[in-house]
Amino acid sequence: MIAFLIRSLEAAMIFTFAGLGELVDQRSGILNVGLEGIMLFGATLGFIAAKTTGNYLIGFLVGIGIGALLGLLHGFFSITLGVDQVVSGMGIWIFGFGMTTYIGNPHTGPLGLERLPTWFGISPFFFLALFMVVAVWFVLTKTGWGLNIRSVGEQPSVAEVSGLKVARIRYLCVIFGGMMAGFAGAVYGLYYNPVWNYNFLMGWGFISLALVFFSMWNPYLLFGGAVLFGLLWQLSLNPQMFFPGLASRYIWRMVPFAMTILVLIFISTNWFRSRWGAATPEALGKPYHKE
Amino acid sequence: MPKVKDVEPIELHGDIWKHITPGEVILEARGITKRYPGGVLANDHIDFKIRAGEVHAILGENGAGKTTLMSILFGLIQPDAGEIYVRGLQVRFRSPEDAIRMGIGMVHQHRKLVPAHTVLENILLGHPKSKGVINIKDAEEEVVAIAERYGFRVDPRARVWQLTEGEKQVVEIVKALYRGAKILILDEPTSALTPVETERLLESIETMTQDALGVVPFITHKLPMVLAISDEVTILRRGRVVDRLKTAEATEQILAQKMVGRPVIFDLKKPDVTPGKPVIQVEDLSARNNKGLIALKNVSFTVREGEILGIAGVAGNGQHELAETLMGLRPAESGRILFNGQDVTHLPILDRWKLGMGYTPAERTDVGSIGDFTLVENVAMNYYFDNRYNHAGFLDYRGLRQLTERIIEEFDVATPSPDVKIQTLSGGNLQKIILGRVLSREPKLIIANLPAQGLDVGATEFVQRKLLEARSNQAAVILISEDLDEILSLSDWIAPMYEGEIVDILPAAEAKKDIIGAMIAGLHQEH
Repeated sequence: MIAFLIRSLEAAMIFTFAGLGELVDQRSGILNVGLEGIMLFGATLGFIAAKTTGNYLIGFLVGIGIGALLGLLHGFFSITLGVDQVVSGMGIWIFGFGMTTYIGNPHTGPLGLERLPTWFGISPFFFLALFMVVAVWFVLTKTGWGLNIRSVGEQPSVAEVSGLKVARIRYLCVIFGGMMAGFAGAVYGLYYNPVWNYNFLMGWGFISLALVFFSMWNPYLLFGGAVLFGLLWQLSLNPQMFFPGLASRYIWRMVPFAMTILVLIFISTNWFRSRWGAATPEALGKPYHKE
Repeated sequence: MPKVKDVEPIELHGDIWKHITPGEVILEARGITKRYPGGVLANDHIDFKIRAGEVHAILGENGAGKTTLMSILFGLIQPDAGEIYVRGLQVRFRSPEDAIRMGIGMVHQHRKLVPAHTVLENILLGHPKSKGVINIKDAEEEVVAIAERYGFRVDPRARVWQLTEGEKQVVEIVKALYRGAKILILDEPTSALTPVETERLLESIETMTQDALGVVPFITHKLPMVLAISDEVTILRRGRVVDRLKTAEATEQILAQKMVGRPVIFDLKKPDVTPGKPVIQVEDLSARNNKGLIALKNVSFTVREGEILGIAGVAGNGQHELAETLMGLRPAESGRILFNGQDVTHLPILDRWKLGMGYTPAERTDVGSIGDFTLVENVAMNYYFDNRYNHAGFLDYRGLRQLTERIIEEFDVATPSPDVKIQTLSGGNLQKIILGRVLSREPKLIIANLPAQGLDVGATEFVQRKLLEARSNQAAVILISEDLDEILSLSDWIAPMYEGEIVDILPAAEAKKDIIGAMIAGLHQEH
């Protein structure tokens, strides 16, 4: 039972890393649906780097680095070229899926390094995730940078005439989002599941993406959602443990997505809007061109 | 073009703004010229000087080059030639940030505020103090202090989407002043204000001039405002400065004539029309706004043939919801609408058009037209269902084209051909074609939502004349307007609206501007 919970929290912390990056990204108005691709890259290249050098740190740095590069690529497509962000993100996912399968294939199998240490069974990454949640919340709501990010994601033209550089802020956010996703992937491949196989991420990028919508763009709700989704994922691995004979694991894996859709319906009701205003960043997914 | 050396903008609180004496030139433009890629010469060697402590109005019709000039002064676009001097120092604004740092503040007509943010967040956005952790309490106090200095009241914690147009303008002004603006550019400052709010703004501008700020309102219409507010006027026409004069020497007639280039008739002759039978009867009508709140509350009125009912009010008091509910674009919550005695409350929109209702929406580019379609196709949108142009599902494009040509002719639309995309038309011409396609159907009822909003003097006069013509032809007209002068000069009956209710319905002959002004500001409800 304890193992079940710990394993759930480990999944939650990975969802949190990737989700927080995407949350900042989306708050600045850029939608990156290629999260799965970036995480796959982070996991695979991080895995290979750590395996060949025998050094975990290099593995994580490579994961973060490739994430930053892919974030930059998505930024170039969606900010500089102004292409449809869903198309660009999907491209990154398909690219990530294909490339990592090709690059990682010779390295199929376990990492073969000593496991990273834990603290009473809990990974130190979990505490880092908690810290990041508070930090992102603080920056977004209490600082001028956060105000700039949120403004750029709501009304870029307003930010522009207020003297902000919209493109630069969006680039920084999309690169941050990529770094977080790459790091989340590296944590997955080097800690959570250090046995490489093609597509071994099994859709965790998409769960993290759904989590951002589920959270209504609030870091604390995102963390709560991450824990919930982590529990559901763990449950889906072993549904007969709690509900013998009730539904297959694939149904359980669908639950986070179904819940996200319910939240999306909820926040678009008149009831919600008239009380809380619009939760979605107004300019999300819309390319911005100077007047 | 002489090579201009980039002058690094100096931090605002540096030396440049020290020791200003009232009357000294603080901003000078010399030979500002801008040609757009299409070949349009928007600004042609424009010169002017702004002095400290003076209000210098820039006047011009739509298309006279005001927007271009404003954008250049605020760093949004770069001029092809010409120089700008701030306190004698030559500057080049590569972005709004440069302009802001040199002391230019801009209050936009289409508010540049983030609706989801608080007032304080909007004011802090882009401010040097909002780097790093924001001290909200200090900032709130400073903002309120600045607002009070100029007689404004702001609630820093309110969300901008909850504010009225007038309150939003106050936020923009306070934002510019808090940022340290010494030259305040105001784009159509009174176009969305009630008379009471206008009065208050004029007092605030008075205080600003006492503080040796330069105030530069850009104005298209509302000539009385120019006379009330300014010390000096520069008049633009077709991208050029046609005249510059002291306001004390000007009259409304002179200004209008110089702006338009021909004499303008201000007093529209309203012919005597004997009202006929009721066309539309509205009983206890209520409707919700986009936020799901009741925005139209138990409204009742009747309009007869040959009558204009003027709905007066400030934006956001239910007029928009009224127009959309009458036309079927918005469901009625309760109450009913009778059109020629027939209950149309739940009738689809198309049936209402077929029965003889006509609507010209306030949002000309979003609801009123499809920018990528030609004039002919846009005209067809009011005719595709008409048997004269629709033969068993096939559109008669030749007929529609002839019809469009007739509308272009009769409504004096400036366009190279009926086959160009409608988005190439200017605001005034777009409104003329929208009005033309509705009036050419000879509707029994016309709902005109802000028909002259944002139009220049010439186009405004034209649109108003056409509405009066429709009235003479025994049409019933519901005129929704935020301009009290327009309401007073056109209407037979006046219905001021406040917070979704019709305060009273007065015969125009007995209506007084100050009373209606008070009613739409919510100050006259008790009777």
